[in-house]
Amino acid sequence: MSVIRKSFAPTVVKAAIGAGLALSLAAGAAADTPKKGGTLVIGSPQTPRHLNPAVQSGVATGMPGSQIFATPLRFDENWNPQPYLAESWKVSADGLSVTLNLRKNAKFHDGKPVTSEDVAFSIDTIKKNHPFKTMFSPVAKVDTPDPHTAILRLSKPHPAILLAMSSSLCAIIPKHVYGDGKDAKRHPMNLKPVGSGPFRFVEYVKGQHIILERDPNFFLKGKPYLDKIIYKINKNSNSLALGLERGDIHLRAFNTKSRELGRLKKNKNLVVTAQGYAAIGPIAWLAFNLKNPILGKKAVRQAIAYAVDRKFINEALHSGLSKPALGPIAMGNPLADQNAKRYDLDLDKANKMLDEAGYPRKDGGTRFQVTLDTLLSQRDVAEYLKPQLKKVGIDVKLRIPPDFPTWANWVKSHEFDMTVDVVFNWGDPVIGVHRTYVTSNIRKGVIWSNTQSYSNPKVDALLEKAGVELDPAKRKQIYLEFQKIVTDELPVYWMYGLPYHTIYNKKVGNPPLTIWGTMGPMDNVYLK
Amino acid sequence: MADRPAGTDIPVAAAESPAREAWRMFLRNRSAILGLVLLAAIVLVSLFGPPLYGVDPFKIQGAPFTPPGVDPNVPLGTDHVGRDILAGMIGGGRATLAVGASAALMTVAIGLLVGAMAGYYGGLVDEILMRITEFFQVLPSLILAMVLVALFTPSLYMIAIAIGVASWQSTARLARAEFLRLKELEYVKAGRTIGATDKRLIWVVILPNALPPLIVSATLIVGVAILFEAGLSFLGLGDPNIMSWGLMIGSSREYIFDSWWSATFPGAAIFLSVLSVSLIGDGLNDALNPKLRER
Repeated sequence: MSVIRKSFAPTVVKAAIGAGLALSLAAGAAADTPKKGGTLVIGSPQTPRHLNPAVQSGVATGMPGSQIFATPLRFDENWNPQPYLAESWKVSADGLSVTLNLRKNAKFHDGKPVTSEDVAFSIDTIKKNHPFKTMFSPVAKVDTPDPHTAILRLSKPHPAILLAMSSSLCAIIPKHVYGDGKDAKRHPMNLKPVGSGPFRFVEYVKGQHIILERDPNFFLKGKPYLDKIIYKINKNSNSLALGLERGDIHLRAFNTKSRELGRLKKNKNLVVTAQGYAAIGPIAWLAFNLKNPILGKKAVRQAIAYAVDRKFINEALHSGLSKPALGPIAMGNPLADQNAKRYDLDLDKANKMLDEAGYPRKDGGTRFQVTLDTLLSQRDVAEYLKPQLKKVGIDVKLRIPPDFPTWANWVKSHEFDMTVDVVFNWGDPVIGVHRTYVTSNIRKGVIWSNTQSYSNPKVDALLEKAGVELDPAKRKQIYLEFQKIVTDELPVYWMYGLPYHTIYNKKVGNPPLTIWGTMGPMDNVYLK
Repeated sequence: MADRPAGTDIPVAAAESPAREAWRMFLRNRSAILGLVLLAAIVLVSLFGPPLYGVDPFKIQGAPFTPPGVDPNVPLGTDHVGRDILAGMIGGGRATLAVGASAALMTVAIGLLVGAMAGYYGGLVDEILMRITEFFQVLPSLILAMVLVALFTPSLYMIAIAIGVASWQSTARLARAEFLRLKELEYVKAGRTIGATDKRLIWVVILPNALPPLIVSATLIVGVAILFEAGLSFLGLGDPNIMSWGLMIGSSREYIFDSWWSATFPGAAIFLSVLSVSLIGDGLNDALNPKLRER
């Protein structure tokens, strides 16, 4: 099988429009001609540790990182790979090599050309330093037959490879800057990054702002449209909302506060959208520590699932802004099982199951006590679960951590009963889904590993197979089978897709709504 | 308070009349009576309200963000999860008052012990204890309490202990001053001459006479402790498993723009309780201060 760009019709049409035009990012905006100039102000509550996404995952680094660093590929809003630093690419029939043909006019912000050496160096650096080990672990080496051709040699077929080469996951970093032998994770230039993306770095004041300016030598002619992007950092979401209302801030992403969004939706100058998060796939779930003798029983976990009302969470707690998550793969991903076992609210059934599991109600009506931890951002859901599980006789003791590291410490050292958690899919299940369910990833001390200690040889085998299956249809079948097993065994109970929303001023043309949203390059964005 | 009329310098236990006189003075103070009535009402509601109202303050009683006066089922509305605010108001008083009282007790216990030792023994003991007191005095007390609560898992006990540990210094200084003054008085010296032990002199002879200002300061500390509990909860360091007014404010903090009622009502309750103990404290101060008695 070979995947060559322009493989099917919609992509051909989009490619035909050419690099100079927006890739049908927003239908409404298509009528307008993009205007050059202006400064886009983005509000963000998070302070990134540094700005080099090659060695750091996460939204805080990813948003500015994707502007500073270009990646071999990019994806549109329909999960189609698009040329970016690589003007074309080819996956060999056996899936064991990927050839990237790099653009000849691409230059880093310091004026030096982007070569295949840099690609090889970047992938090597990411492989060694990035927390997502599965992304490039099958890449045995990168051949560089000429400065504009890089060939990735894989040890096994790796269907996630194209996605892994997009957006914030595969920043191409200059070898002549970062290849000086210093520890890549602590490299001083991570705070003064040099990339080949549409915007170059100007200034970063921690906790205050990040300023980027247009790179006049950007390899896509005429892009980017904006002169400057300023990321204004303010921990307080309310202040950011006020900034949006006043018009000081043009765009704010990753907002989940339903009441705030409800208020902003009414503002006639602002657009609130849930588009732009398909690849991130944030799922909020209730994780069970299977080493707990009570929660180790499947019937107990299923009973808890029956006792939780997803509809209440979606409609009442989140004012209709979140959607239920039925399984391990985000519902927006084509691989998700839309017909997974649903566990619709059924208190009688939950009570019956708990009776049968050997936990009858004692005098006070309580069956047993468990602790429930939560990420601070999902506190309201934990507060809902406490009285809700009391209805079926489970006494939930909340543990609200004072800060994130405390929570992470509890969970990664497996010292918890249940916790509300949010885990990202990161586009391909190989990157963001497998880690939660495979036995080999039960690693004490690592957060967002298989902290539930879930182990099922059949699941291990299926995921192993899915990780190397190149035929999309067959791959989906394997994942469907996997989803059938885990939605029955419930190592975690998926509750909802985190209601991430982007709010932007109507002045913003071509808002970033691809599968990576604001974590993708914003070279098409302009101000009306 | 330096020179009392000689007649009052006898142990309280031996004479009933000063206490009765103080009570009479207290009753003459209208604002103190108001505080007492207010506090009595709050205590009564907190003690007997929950079984009478019968709604678990954690239970989801209605749609989230129901404003007050809309749903007769939840007269004061609901919070962001749908919990009944009125149930929280009635049920949350217990924890808040308990933390206030036990933290005040804790404060007085530590403060009295340190102050009494320092004041009575003087010399090196005094030096050491006062340097320790000063060390704690220069630490910002809310931050010290935050650190203590964050180090251990937030629970009501831990919060009471943290508040106690963070705010005993002024009581210690007050107790020390009283002991320094009283230990030089003649009846104490007399006690010593007839061979009374230090223990007896400290706890039986001096302490009862040092109590009035300490009682006043303890009362005021109850108010401070209630505010501390609310402050810690506001910062997310409250005990999430026991309903308290502070917890209600803390968990509604993020939604203040959307539902004023979920933070305002418990806020008002905290305000009234602190006000009532402060009024009582002022009343006690007037009543127990012999200089004001003649007025």
